[in-house]
Amino acid sequence: MKLAFTLSIKNIFGAKLRTFLNVFVLSFSFVVIIGLKGVMDGWDDQARRDSINWQFGQGQLIHEDYDPLDSFTILDGKGLIPENISGLTPILVHQASIYPQGRMLGATIKGIDLSQKSVLLPTKALINSKYNYPVIIGKRMAESSKLSIGDEVLIRWRDKNGTYDANRITVVDIFDSNVPAIDSGQIWMSIETLWQITGLNNQASFFIADKNYKHKPINFWKFNSQEELLKPISDLVAQKNGSQSVIYFLLLTIALLAIFDTQVLSVFRRQSEIGTYIALGMTRQKVIGIFTFEGSLYSVLALILATIYGFPLLAWFADVGFAVPPADQKMGIPIADTIFPIFGLKLVFGTIFLVLFASTVVSFLPTRKISKLDPILALKGKKQ
Amino acid sequence: MSKGYPIGGKTFMALKNLTISFNEGEFAGIVGPSGSGKTTLLNIIGSLDKPTQGEAIVLDQNISDLTHKKAAYLRNINIGFIFQVFNLLPVYTVYENVEFALLLQQYSGKERKKAVMEALDWVGLTSHANKKPDKLSGGESQRVAIARAMVKRPKILLADEPTANLDSENAHEILSTMKKLNKELKTTFLFSTHDEKVMGYLDRTIHLRDGNIEKDIIKKS
Repeated sequence: MKLAFTLSIKNIFGAKLRTFLNVFVLSFSFVVIIGLKGVMDGWDDQARRDSINWQFGQGQLIHEDYDPLDSFTILDGKGLIPENISGLTPILVHQASIYPQGRMLGATIKGIDLSQKSVLLPTKALINSKYNYPVIIGKRMAESSKLSIGDEVLIRWRDKNGTYDANRITVVDIFDSNVPAIDSGQIWMSIETLWQITGLNNQASFFIADKNYKHKPINFWKFNSQEELLKPISDLVAQKNGSQSVIYFLLLTIALLAIFDTQVLSVFRRQSEIGTYIALGMTRQKVIGIFTFEGSLYSVLALILATIYGFPLLAWFADVGFAVPPADQKMGIPIADTIFPIFGLKLVFGTIFLVLFASTVVSFLPTRKISKLDPILALKGKKQ
Repeated sequence: MSKGYPIGGKTFMALKNLTISFNEGEFAGIVGPSGSGKTTLLNIIGSLDKPTQGEAIVLDQNISDLTHKKAAYLRNINIGFIFQVFNLLPVYTVYENVEFALLLQQYSGKERKKAVMEALDWVGLTSHANKKPDKLSGGESQRVAIARAMVKRPKILLADEPTANLDSENAHEILSTMKKLNKELKTTFLFSTHDEKVMGYLDRTIHLRDGNIEKDIIKKS
């Protein structure tokens, strides 16, 4: 091992510029892969955290006819609140239209229990309001409907019998959430007010569970755990991550190709040296081992170089975060203004393992030629 | 034994039904023109090659039966090589080049240091221990090669045209050194050469021509 190490170090440092270029390209791959994956992990973490805090709580008990992704199920997807339940915040979903500045906008009214603590919605703002129909909306809804705190707007809905009714609601608070599903086109009001104006007394479309909720099967209602609810988000991030893998693959391929070429050149140019090793009593396997070790040492040096400039760079990146362009924030998935990358041990060590393993494999492949080399011709320096 | 090489659909016989034996501690040379088979014979004795017919027994081991691993072991422990173009490892210093043979045998650090310094002393290069091969003259390089070959105290030392790249003075110096080591360490030295200077030092001269032994002359002491 000492022999392989000293020989490799001397050969690698002897190659100067070629070594530096190989090591630098590979270290760049290290830093970029860890940096980009850190952003994705940061986004995944932020999206999951925000979705739990603002939308999903500890899970949702959903009426069997209600599909949050299908607006056609809103009308029938509701039922009477089951008796003897605890740890659940009821939400009633109802369709409406609002008329800000004379324009008509489709909206979804969501009635929520004002004393809830399951999610971060500022429902307290609706308690003891001086207005008849106080509501809260999110910043996206406020922006699209051009509404501000204190604004009144006409709202029209149909009651349980299908009869149109209308009144004026007042915006008492605008919340800032990264979760578009509770913001875009949504108007939040007291569930009791919604019951009152629609006649859908004691009904709910779904419930948000808090930490005290213990699920028992209830007829007509199905429970979706937190993980089930978060799965589409994780799947989306995983899909994005997958598409980014093309970049990792290209970067890594360029770096590994450089090592591969160096190894091919090394085995070709150093045949006399290989012949000498064999003549001095080294087995071919040992010579292959030395050359493979030498090639994989590039990745170790790249790791050291990446640590030198990548560690402060990524630490700074984790601190200032990655600013998300405004257009991306309207994609319909939870994205914060700034994503703070997360560089977990799994990510760092996983990347290190991947690069070390891949560079060892590409270092080994050209050295297989050594096992077929004629040592006599090699000693004479005749290229084979 | 015989040794043939396939060339252009035919077989070129480098050695033809050759029978020869060497005794322990001999200072012998295989001489002859280019293509006479001297390097081939040396390579077979050094277990770098195998005969196509017959047997080559080196230190009681049949070369034809040796696996790559066993052949490597035989070379590692018992056989030293000296080449025409020195074949020193360019990234290593003189000291490390000589030490290399001992690293393969996994000597301890202390043992290695003692043996390397002794080997460098034999060839008068202790002051050059930290130099790289590219800073040495041809004669010095060949002396390092001798030290590298002898440091492990092999039973056999094979030298393929060791003086071919040296001037007369350096050639005589190298040969004197080898002759001295042969006497002191009882190592068997086998040369392949067509250099008259070398022949003058040999105790036994085997003349090869076209793969056959032409003459086998033992010098009377």
